[in-house]
Amino acid sequence: MAIEGADIIKAAAFLGAGLSMGLGAIGPGVGEGMVAAKACEAIGKNPKEAGLLTRTMLVGQAVSESTGIYSLVIALLLLFVV
Amino acid sequence: MSAEPQSLINVAAYLAGGIAMGFGAVGAAIGEGYTAAQANLSVSRNSENSGDLFKNMLVGQAVAESASIFALVIAILLLFLDHPDATVIKAAAFIGAGICMGCGAIGSGVGSGFPGGQACWGIARQPAVTSRLTTNMLIGSAVCQTPAIFSMVVALMLIFMDFSQAPLAPTWAALIGAGLSTGLAAIGSGFGGGLAAGASCEGIARQPETVGNVTTTMLVGQAVAQTPSIFGLLVSFILMFKSFPESTTLSAAMALLAAGLCMGFGGIGPGIGNGNTAEGAVRWVARNVTHAGELMRMMLVGQAVSQSTAIYAMVVSLVLIFVL
Amino acid sequence: MEDLGRVYQLLIPVGGHTVVLNLNVILMTWIVFGILLILGYLATRKSGFMPRPMQLVGEMIVDQLYGLTEDALDKRRAETYGPLVCALFLFLLLSNWLGIIPHLEEPTKDLNTPLSLGIMGFVIAHYAGIKTKGFKAYAKEYCEPMFFMMPLNVIGEMAKIVSISFRLFGNIMGGSIIILVVSHLTYSLILPPFLNAFFGLFVGTIQAFVFTMLTVVYISVQVK
Repeated sequence: MAIEGADIIKAAAFLGAGLSMGLGAIGPGVGEGMVAAKACEAIGKNPKEAGLLTRTMLVGQAVSESTGIYSLVIALLLLFVV
Repeated sequence: MSAEPQSLINVAAYLAGGIAMGFGAVGAAIGEGYTAAQANLSVSRNSENSGDLFKNMLVGQAVAESASIFALVIAILLLFLDHPDATVIKAAAFIGAGICMGCGAIGSGVGSGFPGGQACWGIARQPAVTSRLTTNMLIGSAVCQTPAIFSMVVALMLIFMDFSQAPLAPTWAALIGAGLSTGLAAIGSGFGGGLAAGASCEGIARQPETVGNVTTTMLVGQAVAQTPSIFGLLVSFILMFKSFPESTTLSAAMALLAAGLCMGFGGIGPGIGNGNTAEGAVRWVARNVTHAGELMRMMLVGQAVSQSTAIYAMVVSLVLIFVL
Repeated sequence: MEDLGRVYQLLIPVGGHTVVLNLNVILMTWIVFGILLILGYLATRKSGFMPRPMQLVGEMIVDQLYGLTEDALDKRRAETYGPLVCALFLFLLLSNWLGIIPHLEEPTKDLNTPLSLGIMGFVIAHYAGIKTKGFKAYAKEYCEPMFFMMPLNVIGEMAKIVSISFRLFGNIMGGSIIILVVSHLTYSLILPPFLNAFFGLFVGTIQAFVFTMLTVVYISVQVK
């Protein structure tokens, strides 16, 4: 198996893309889950404010998503641009 | 260094057996320890029911053990099955199988400890609902074992399926990637499902008449929390069944390995997060059962959003497999 | 084991392209339709004030499902979407249970069925959202909370279709492969029927319920 320069660079790029998106999905997954858990608790305590609580939860989750988006962008860059 | 296929296969099989049993023993032990710790606390709180508590602890630990029993079965198969037709690609398949079962048993093992522990604690508080708590603990633990069952299936397929038709060059990476994909993704889902089951046992102990709503919410929450491991299973099936054209470039092999890593790691976080959400929802359904509908709605919306990173990981995996 | 992945297909060449029909899945779907029509007919014939057993079962099922819809949507909308929820749930329940009968397989085992039901739910939800809020407010929602989140919100909506369909497909397909592999390995009479019951009945019921609930929740998120 002859390993040349360009080939090993592409191989490293693919591996990096996989690791980037893979490991990058761990944090937002756990964090957004915590947000939703506390939102459920909040609805349990105060069900009348359901609309406000849903909106707050969704905004909070969208912002927590940002590092996941960064990972996705880097992964796509590694796959298609580099 | 040239190694003949037969010795290479033995090397891979023994290595994989070690990995399978080594990693597989971790989760169940932690889960059973948690159950036993809660059982001890419960006996100290309520020593007249120590007989019931002891029985419940043993049953709960037995269910949590099943994940590592799966790992033991795979390890023994790897060690003692003889392989008459020795091809190098079988070595890669064995390593994939070992990683898959080893990592897959971690999450379910730890997760199944939670309902056992919470059930023991609940029996100490409310001895009257012992039978209902035991039933719920068994249902929750059984559903929580599903990711470990998925890992065992992929491991069995990797061991027994005949891959000799496929070219060695990128397929070795596809098989190891298949093992990584399901194995790692099952960690999060198993852990998350266990969180939900534990909260349901605690909720039933607090409010025994809310049993129906609590069990429904737990089952729905666990089903959604297992979706990342389903995604991992899908990517594994694609990697195992798709025939890849022969290519000796390192980049083709690394693309497939990276696809497995991506989906595997990408399933951990959303699985744990979804389980956390389900735990919160189930806990509060028990405390506020009149608004169970709104709670389930909030849980489903929250879980759907927090699964999006698992979807991103699956998209990147599929791009790596099909486009590159 | 050799049959894994083998699908009977009918290829019809139509004007340059080929139309591919999966015959197995179509036949199984018709069987589910037939069972549903027979059950519906039996439950409503000679319906009087004193309910007969089949009518009682039918009323119980419809009552429960309408209750679920009302929990998520308000009463007026629950009248509109109640029949959709009942039809979806009963179709998915019977489809997932069809695998228990020997020689029949679940139509949800093929990706086309869950994917088309998921797209249907998505279209209904977004159509309801546009009708309720008007197109401007609906489009503005994609730009919350910041403008450059728009492509990500769109991807998120697509992701909902993917997750809802793949969840159902993966559970049912994975279950049937597991039963196949275990039956191939064990030759026993005890394990495969138990596994069949677990994956077919238990998991099938839960997944049908989750799919229906998620569809209702998506509709309610769009109209509120």
